[in-house]
Amino acid sequence: MKENHKKIGKIILWIVLVMVAVIQLFPLIWLVDFSLGSSNEMFTNGLLIIPEKIRWDNYVKAFVDGNFLHYLRNSVLINTLAVVCVIIISIMAAFACQRMQWKLSAFVSTLLVMGMMIPIHATLLPNYKIYSNLHLTDTIWALLIPYVAFSMPQGIFLMTGFIQSLPKELEEAAVMDGCGIYRIVFQIVTPLLKPSIATVAIMTFLNNWNEFMMASTYLSTPRWKTLPFSVLEFTGEYSSNYAVQFAVMALTAAPAVIVYVILNKHITKGVAMGAVKG
Amino acid sequence: MKKKVIATLLTAAMMATMIAGCGSDKGSAPASGDAQNVQEQAAGGEKAAEPAGDSADAAGEASGGEVTIKLFSNLPDRKNGQGLVEQTIIDEYMAANPNVSIEVEALDEEAYKTKFKAYAMDGMPDVVSIWGQPSFLDEVLDAGVLAELNEEDYIDYSFIAGSLDGFKKDDKLYGLPRNTDIMLFYYNQKMFEDNGWEVPATYDDLMALCADIKDAGFTPVAMDGGDGWPMACFLTDILVQVAGVDYADIVSNAVATGDFGAPEIRQATQILVDSANAGMFQVGYDSQDYGTTMNLFTNGQAAMYCMGSWDCSMALNEDIAPEIRDNIRAFTMPTVDGGKGGANDIAAWNGGGYAVSANSAVKDEAIKFLNYMYQPDKLSKYGWENGVGLSAQDQTAYLTGNETELQKQVMDILKNATSISGTPINDCGPSAFKTAIESEIQGVSNGSTSVDDFLAAIGAACK
Amino acid sequence: MKKLYSNKPVIFSLILPGILVFLFAVLAPICLSIYYGFTDYSGMGEAHLVGFENYTNLFHDSAFGRSLRNSLLLAIGFICIQHPIAIIVAAVLDKLQGKAEGIFRCIYFIPNVISVAVIAYLWKFIYNPDFGLLNNILRAFGYTEKVNWLSQQNAIWSVLIVLIWHGFGWGMLIYYTGIKNIDPVLYEAASIDGANWWTTFFRITLPLMKPVIQINVTMAIISALKQMETVYLLTNGGPNNSTQFAANYLYQQAFKAFKYGYGNAIGVIFIVICILVTVALNTIFKDKQDA
Repeated sequence: MKENHKKIGKIILWIVLVMVAVIQLFPLIWLVDFSLGSSNEMFTNGLLIIPEKIRWDNYVKAFVDGNFLHYLRNSVLINTLAVVCVIIISIMAAFACQRMQWKLSAFVSTLLVMGMMIPIHATLLPNYKIYSNLHLTDTIWALLIPYVAFSMPQGIFLMTGFIQSLPKELEEAAVMDGCGIYRIVFQIVTPLLKPSIATVAIMTFLNNWNEFMMASTYLSTPRWKTLPFSVLEFTGEYSSNYAVQFAVMALTAAPAVIVYVILNKHITKGVAMGAVKG
Repeated sequence: MKKKVIATLLTAAMMATMIAGCGSDKGSAPASGDAQNVQEQAAGGEKAAEPAGDSADAAGEASGGEVTIKLFSNLPDRKNGQGLVEQTIIDEYMAANPNVSIEVEALDEEAYKTKFKAYAMDGMPDVVSIWGQPSFLDEVLDAGVLAELNEEDYIDYSFIAGSLDGFKKDDKLYGLPRNTDIMLFYYNQKMFEDNGWEVPATYDDLMALCADIKDAGFTPVAMDGGDGWPMACFLTDILVQVAGVDYADIVSNAVATGDFGAPEIRQATQILVDSANAGMFQVGYDSQDYGTTMNLFTNGQAAMYCMGSWDCSMALNEDIAPEIRDNIRAFTMPTVDGGKGGANDIAAWNGGGYAVSANSAVKDEAIKFLNYMYQPDKLSKYGWENGVGLSAQDQTAYLTGNETELQKQVMDILKNATSISGTPINDCGPSAFKTAIESEIQGVSNGSTSVDDFLAAIGAACK
Repeated sequence: MKKLYSNKPVIFSLILPGILVFLFAVLAPICLSIYYGFTDYSGMGEAHLVGFENYTNLFHDSAFGRSLRNSLLLAIGFICIQHPIAIIVAAVLDKLQGKAEGIFRCIYFIPNVISVAVIAYLWKFIYNPDFGLLNNILRAFGYTEKVNWLSQQNAIWSVLIVLIWHGFGWGMLIYYTGIKNIDPVLYEAASIDGANWWTTFFRITLPLMKPVIQINVTMAIISALKQMETVYLLTNGGPNNSTQFAANYLYQQAFKAFKYGYGNAIGVIFIVICILVTVALNTIFKDKQDA
């Protein structure tokens, strides 16, 4: 009796899990499926199609005309720079506010972390004005500055927590040895923060990798445009060819999905750590 | 252990991007630049045929060093229709003037207008697409962001009489029109013949026809209602039939007073509402974009498609199946029972065009390029050859005899027109009015706003 | 030690980059917004001070009210639909051992790493009445009527579905981590007492998850307020402002309707609302924790 009960429970459990998995994945399968057919096959009634002929040339078109490599390079470059900046700035600021002794430390720390509450899109209008007056529009700075600015509060918040939990003894020993503050920060503390650095890096990457609102407002030429623009520009150019549009969407999604699947354990751990604390 | 893995991966990722970053600095005058180079070479072959005058110009400039002209365009599809025409001329110009490179940024209309206003705050590209209509141009000219052009220069460009008017302020010219746009119903002739349907003569016929088409399992009219402006043009078209030649006066009066209660406007709106209610448009028309709507027609799901004459290039678009593309024909808004408009009173205007930025660092070069585009054998001729409809210049010299049926039809429509409406209703007021009517028209057509509320709301936006 | 740790120039040098970024990229735009919020600036030409006119207009602007109502709807949708499912799935997933656990966790999170641009366009196709996935599924079940998923009445719910789908993995993952952190001894004790799965879930899992739930609820409300990108690409606020959100509306007003000043006024109110809501939620939850 109890065995039976358990079995039924197990079956229900599997049904729930598989159903949710199907809901989460099916749209993506649909996307890839239709991207391999021709546009006319869109108008069939079935859920999925078996393309008459597998059209890899859709992907070739998407890859070449979507400027895929160029946009991918921009995305990787800008995001990596943003991550590096956020990490360095947050470690420095968090250390200063958490360990150093000065009157305003609590106030400054709160002020910097307050940035988390500001909706990033509310700064689109004034920032556009500022950047265009400083001739920063259409340069890498127009993306880097807001990306860093809006990931930094979270970075500082997380780093402050992590630094707090570090034992002070190590630093004390270092001071005895005659280390300066900068050496303590970068050679003693930073290595101890590796897991936290990974968390901040992952959170920053996830925040900014898919961002396009600022990119589309502040950038004009393809020079620094990021990966989402493959899709945005391409759908205009190939408005009458659905299959190729699907191909470019699948292609644009691919890098992040592949990296995620490979690093899935580390990323989930990083997100969990960051989100629960934040 | 795991920490090490992450750290290593991160460093590896950073290294990789740094290398990519360094390597790219040279190559990054970017990917699109390469594409342009290829096109440039391709266009180079045709260059020999260019008149000598251009080469002389080019030689004169070569000493002036490299010039980069930024062109901001509302034509994202560079391989078909008007976009192809524009790109062809750009490539020719760059081939003829090796020291000039032209960088194109192209967005579709809605995104274009948004970005244009953002640009207008500071630092416009050198050559821009504009619309010679109050909703767009008034504020732009007030801000003084466009360069004045010398009207005398264009005497020999055979612009159609009156077509420059929308681009002027205080008798000074700030832009040039690209097209003459006519509101059309495109229809699938084969589908019509197969089902025994006929081109409607009156609006009642149109309604009956739509009911038949619906019964046959097709969408009667594909309507881009997601964007708002095509539906406003459609309303304009109905209003022209209702009010006849009084259209322009009624609308400008309504915009000036903020009172849209005129019986003609009310009647036209009611007709729109009834039509939408009767299922004239596809399901979900009020949320679908341009491309989706057009594809409904070009894939044979819809029997008709309501759009301006610029889409005549469908007849030459290789992406559209031949059995459909060869069968596209057009008619204009049928007459409305009791309306003052006749069959040959049409909704048409000179809307889109180009201008040069007043603060452009390469203003002279930009104007030179603008003038090059408008040489009668450029925009006008190529436009005609690519079937993009009618330019704002006299095209009779370029008739080839190979015109598509659709082109001939549209040309006849314009030739036979007894009156031309001018600016469509949504473009007659300030941009706040335009934004309001293009959003409110979705609500009134799908029945969630009453006609009274609609008229009041758009009136309020004029104040 | 103390001397070293209170060296003012060193402190200053460490904190300076952070402060500079904050001043330039957060504080400066907000101040500029406040200024332009008091003008009739169109985006071009001259700006004139108009006092509180923008703010009084905003008060009567039905589209703005609609944006806030939509944010509220979205937040309720997240809390009442997404989160219960996420908690249950997380709890179920926790029961699973071995490889399957990791695989499911990975699958659930995949939509999250995909760009909003792709997601929005993909769902535009899924919702298409003529050849979209959803209507094809309905047709497979024999329902042939074409459903207009993005109509004025349905659109906001359709947007909600996309957002729930896209963000599901994130919420699930956090609950899952919360559940993993619960001391297994408690479960053993419960199973010795003969409690079944449901009782365990309601008596042990849920109460212990309270802090995690509070974090997730806060994040859901904030993200509902800040919603912009999906809506911008999927419906752009339409039809007739039925899916309008504050961020999208300020963008439209500034760049489309030539009301840059008004757009900034919306931005200022938007920031104020976000701060108030965050502070309010934190206070409410903190009080409860203390009690």
